[in-house]
Amino acid sequence: MSLDLSRSANSSGSQRSKRGFNNNNNSTSSNRSSNSNDSNKKKKVSQKTLGVAWGANSISSSRSSSFRKSPFSDFGSYMVEKNRKLQNQFDVEASASSHSDSGSGKPIFHGVSIFVDGFTVPSSQELRGYMLKHGGRLENYFSRRRVTHIICSNLPDSKIKNLRSFSGGLPVVKPMWILDSVAANKLLSWVPYQLDQLANNQPKLSAFFALKSSPQSQDALPCAPVCPGNPEAEDSSFKGGTSVDASFSDVGEPVEHSGLISGESNNLMNKNSNVSLLEEPASSCGKPSEVTMTKPSNFDVEDESSVRNELQSSHYQPSALVSSNFMDIHNMKGSPSSTVGGPSNQHHSTLEDPNFVENYFKNSRLHFIGTWRNRYRKRFPSFSNGFKFTSSNTKASAPKTAVIHVDMDCFFVSVVIRSHPEMQDKPVAVCHSDNPKGTAEISSANYPARDYGVRAGMFVRDAKALCPHLVIFPYNFEAYEEVADQFYNILHKHCNKVQAVSCDEAFLDVTDTDTEGDPQLLASTIRKEILETTGCTASAGIAENMLMARLATRTAKPDGQCCIPPERADDYLSQLPIKALPGIGHVLEEKLKKQNVWTCGQLRMISKDSLQKDFGTKTGEMLWNYSRGVDNRLVGVIQESKSIGAEVNWGVRFKDVKDCQNFLSNLCKEVSLRLQGCGVKGRTFTLKIKKRRKDAEEPAKYMGCGECENLSHSTTVPVATDDVEVLQRISKQLFGTFHLDVKEIRGLGLQVSRLESADNSKQAFERNSLKSWLISASASTKELWSNDSTAKDRFNIGQGDGVSGQTCANSVGLSIEMDNNMSDSEACLNQVSELPPLCHLDMGVLESLPPELFSELNEIYGRKLVDLIAKNKGKSVSISGSSSTHSHARVEGAMNEGQAVLLFDPVLHNEIPVEKKHISEEVPAVLVSGAESYSVAIPASCLEKTDLMPSSLSQVDVTVLQQLPEELKADILEVLPAHRRQDVSSNVLSEVPLESKGIKTTENHSGSKDSVLDNNLWAGTPPQWVDKFKVSNCLILNILAEMYYEAGSTGNLSPILQRAISVPKHQLDASQDGWDEAAHILRELLKQYIKLKIEFDIEEIYVCFCLLKRFAMKSELFLHVYTDVFPYLQASFGENYGGNLHISLKD
Amino acid sequence: MERRDIQSPQGETARILVEFLEVAISSIVFLKGVYPAGAFERRRYMNVVVQRARHPQLRDYIHSAVSALLPFIQKGLVERVAVIFFDIDCIPVERFVFKLTVNQSYGSKLEEADLEFSLRSFLIKLSVSESLTRVLPHDCRWEITAYFRSLPQASTSKDAELWIPSDTRLWQQPPLLTPIKSMNSEPLCVQLYLEHPSSCEPKP
Repeated sequence: MSLDLSRSANSSGSQRSKRGFNNNNNSTSSNRSSNSNDSNKKKKVSQKTLGVAWGANSISSSRSSSFRKSPFSDFGSYMVEKNRKLQNQFDVEASASSHSDSGSGKPIFHGVSIFVDGFTVPSSQELRGYMLKHGGRLENYFSRRRVTHIICSNLPDSKIKNLRSFSGGLPVVKPMWILDSVAANKLLSWVPYQLDQLANNQPKLSAFFALKSSPQSQDALPCAPVCPGNPEAEDSSFKGGTSVDASFSDVGEPVEHSGLISGESNNLMNKNSNVSLLEEPASSCGKPSEVTMTKPSNFDVEDESSVRNELQSSHYQPSALVSSNFMDIHNMKGSPSSTVGGPSNQHHSTLEDPNFVENYFKNSRLHFIGTWRNRYRKRFPSFSNGFKFTSSNTKASAPKTAVIHVDMDCFFVSVVIRSHPEMQDKPVAVCHSDNPKGTAEISSANYPARDYGVRAGMFVRDAKALCPHLVIFPYNFEAYEEVADQFYNILHKHCNKVQAVSCDEAFLDVTDTDTEGDPQLLASTIRKEILETTGCTASAGIAENMLMARLATRTAKPDGQCCIPPERADDYLSQLPIKALPGIGHVLEEKLKKQNVWTCGQLRMISKDSLQKDFGTKTGEMLWNYSRGVDNRLVGVIQESKSIGAEVNWGVRFKDVKDCQNFLSNLCKEVSLRLQGCGVKGRTFTLKIKKRRKDAEEPAKYMGCGECENLSHSTTVPVATDDVEVLQRISKQLFGTFHLDVKEIRGLGLQVSRLESADNSKQAFERNSLKSWLISASASTKELWSNDSTAKDRFNIGQGDGVSGQTCANSVGLSIEMDNNMSDSEACLNQVSELPPLCHLDMGVLESLPPELFSELNEIYGRKLVDLIAKNKGKSVSISGSSSTHSHARVEGAMNEGQAVLLFDPVLHNEIPVEKKHISEEVPAVLVSGAESYSVAIPASCLEKTDLMPSSLSQVDVTVLQQLPEELKADILEVLPAHRRQDVSSNVLSEVPLESKGIKTTENHSGSKDSVLDNNLWAGTPPQWVDKFKVSNCLILNILAEMYYEAGSTGNLSPILQRAISVPKHQLDASQDGWDEAAHILRELLKQYIKLKIEFDIEEIYVCFCLLKRFAMKSELFLHVYTDVFPYLQASFGENYGGNLHISLKD
Repeated sequence: MERRDIQSPQGETARILVEFLEVAISSIVFLKGVYPAGAFERRRYMNVVVQRARHPQLRDYIHSAVSALLPFIQKGLVERVAVIFFDIDCIPVERFVFKLTVNQSYGSKLEEADLEFSLRSFLIKLSVSESLTRVLPHDCRWEITAYFRSLPQASTSKDAELWIPSDTRLWQQPPLLTPIKSMNSEPLCVQLYLEHPSSCEPKP
């Protein structure tokens, strides 16, 4: 306790915290009289105050002695006094200094009050001096009310994590801001000076209030157009997430002005105004958290800046604190209109895109190079197979070989600028983004740029520092493919032995090619042809083996060719720096340099044995051979890839586990596609995770992975697979073994090894077909399943092909979100492959569609949409009505549109009360952040999903089901109607997630009231069962419901039972007529309660069942219920704790 | 001033939990009367009277055992911590099991007082739950065993070396469970229950 006191003694609010602490003690210690406690407290407090006051006194005693006299009742008033004193001192000094040199001191910092945190350069004393001189203030103690800026050079990690609590929403700025402002003799905008560590999350703060305060500040302080020093505005806007939301609609107006804020407005400000402009449509629908989704449809922003905007705007969400939730596949949820709205520029939005993974790889150069080979092999299969045999023959017969190495000159740049002849001799670099921040890495630079020192891998900003007029181009993958194809066409035309190294680099074995004998001539022909066809230059090296040819190309570049005849090889090598040899990287180079080996000539001095001893057998031999120009590799031997995988380590930021799971399943999709693309299956799966190192700061590269620990787990399965679902299951399992905080993850990769060639993928087909059989049997739309495969293709390949594709993607996104279950979503996918029938359309979505899209849809549906909507409106039906309609319609097998519309009426009357209730109650529980307007779409898609198999389970034998392998069982259970599933699952899989169950039952309306079993008896406050019991005609149920309120609504069952135990015996068994129903619902209640509590509160279950056992001794009904539920209880215990509950009665 | 560095909530939770386990295990050992009552002394922890071992070796054993768990609890690797009493044949007679769940993604600041309130109830309940337990045979022994969700990598910390694989025999039948106390709060869930051999357990 004393520790706590002395710790909190520094804070101005220490009074309160002390009292709180003591109160706590009072309330919990029962045996002490409050009186003595009180006096106790007073004594302690006063002691403490004395101690600290003394300490403070000693500091300031030289200045004033008034502290000693003033009777401080406690520490709080001491601090108030001290602060006042310090302020007075400051004021006095300030007036003194401004008098002394009034000429220089212009009050530029008027209204600015800084707080210096930690070590800064210049020191806080110097800063204080500046503030004194220029009309600002420096606070010695942090206070939200007085401080306007926090100055610091560096922040510890903990403060960055808890930035809001540390800074109270105030700007955290580097001391350079003060210095530069003094130098400029005016108050500069602090925005560019914000702390680097916060650069990624601070703009969200500044974005808002800079806009908000700027109109005011323009009036108030003409000299400071962007004045952030408006503590009131900040305070009000940053008190809590909700108030920020609320004030969004206000921003709508000032946004127009923001463009006018000239003067100091810098890049960031521009960005900010961008953000808020984008937010305008969203704020008008009153849901700021959904902002991120509507954006891309309006703005064709350059890729990375849109990423930034996204980042900033997403920070407005109350839940998002410091962690940047960039990788927001998650945001996609519940937003059908976002994809519907923006089909035209899908590829721009990397984040709200549900297919981030896909798009990521679409935009990755490394991926392009990596997958290019497959493409190449498919294009030139005959070549790559054909010449292998001949090559071995000729090798034996022809002693003198000739190898040409052809390499395009700075391929990635020259392809892009071949259509810009004016750029030919200007410095150009290719980079995925050219945003002003300049943290993107240059992937390739042309020769003029290289002359300036620009290199691949450099940050754009560094490159621009070296070469200010450097022009940055984005990738053009189509052009790369085209040129690469042309390149290889030429090579294959001239030579039948081509070994592709990369898309722009190849070896040719021209030993037995009869081209008038001269490989040099051939090389120049090829180069000339390449230039004519592609418009890009290539260099060539000619030598007797691959090593020397490659080295020759090095000399030849750019746009030249070089021949190293065998007799000159030695000379050439002797001066060659070792770094130039392929296979020697940084590490090896360093090691060799330590041994004083700089050139190949020096390397040759070392014996093979000692090389092998130092560097290992293989590397040693390689070094020995290469330094002598010996290379025994044959042209044309393409190594089979040993593993296939995909890894993303850029832009990976997760907010919660669900994000991560989504991402993982998308990654699996990608890997599965790659496996299928290569026609192989794999058995070993390795999940690699890059985890942020504990002390790592936000990486310099925008959204990069920074410093990471690399973790990996792998598992091997008996049967090779390329199936998405299997991959997903395995990867999920693997991921589970890491036990990581998902926020720390910076990269994820899945690698598949032990590859086997796919044997026509028979097994996968079987699995799929079984499933589609199940679905097709149940679905009344028979044509659906035949479209199964095409639907899948469409989903994977094209997202933009028409509205139906969009809707398809939508509902998939939705259902994935529903329970993260791929097979479910596939079921859904199967179903929506065709244009959904008219009756399936969601009115809510339709009505909120943009007019153009709506008219397009209307066309597709033959103008029936308008009628439907009109009808809908005329009856003023809620949206939920329509969703229940079509589900019902499907059960009836009425697929005819006209019929569905006819059905509309009666169905509504039947279903809506039930349906509405569920929707309103279930949806909030399931949706984490979905907007209400979208929520309707979710139950709709869910309805469609599970109604596929109407009541066919009665034919399924549970025992058979149990015998089935796990995967099959899961598949079948997935397509079962919900009410049956619950029974089965309690036997077979008692771990169906509660929410999903809850939802699934909502569409269960087979008519009779008994079977409408509500599975969410424990949801809500008061729990649903209370209402149910209240209206029941069974006395004991009524009593229990009553007890719920009496027991104080804790949500626990035991207090209720405890009270009910005193109910007289004759009331327990009251009415025989309601017996069955009462027993049934009690059973259900208990089962659900067990499920709810089994994991975390077995004490409660134990108490309940002890009480129940006592009920059972008195009442037949309860005995019945007890004996029925007891096995279930024991099974749950066995599953969770590996034992049986032991219930003993102690009375 | 709010300068005080705030520990990660997981670290804080783990620290509190480890401290609690040390006290609770001492209480259990006292409760079972393995050692004479004089081997313990009354202390106050969280404002309730608890027993602490006086013998330095006993105290050290309990202390070092649970503190070595700290890094693993922090990472959420420890699933259960059991205090096992067994007879001469190393067959368990009674097991006190703490089932732990630490929310790994719990981000906000920890309310230590709330946790203490819940943890205190364990200690109170323990002191009155002797009637639930069984009488131990004469010369029994005991040990602390931790069950991990996955095996920790060997090199995680040198503390790990303090923990060795256990050779206590297991029951062949699923045991009978008697819950003693559960708490379910953020970011920590602890359940304490007793495990006894089931009646059909074959006697050696």
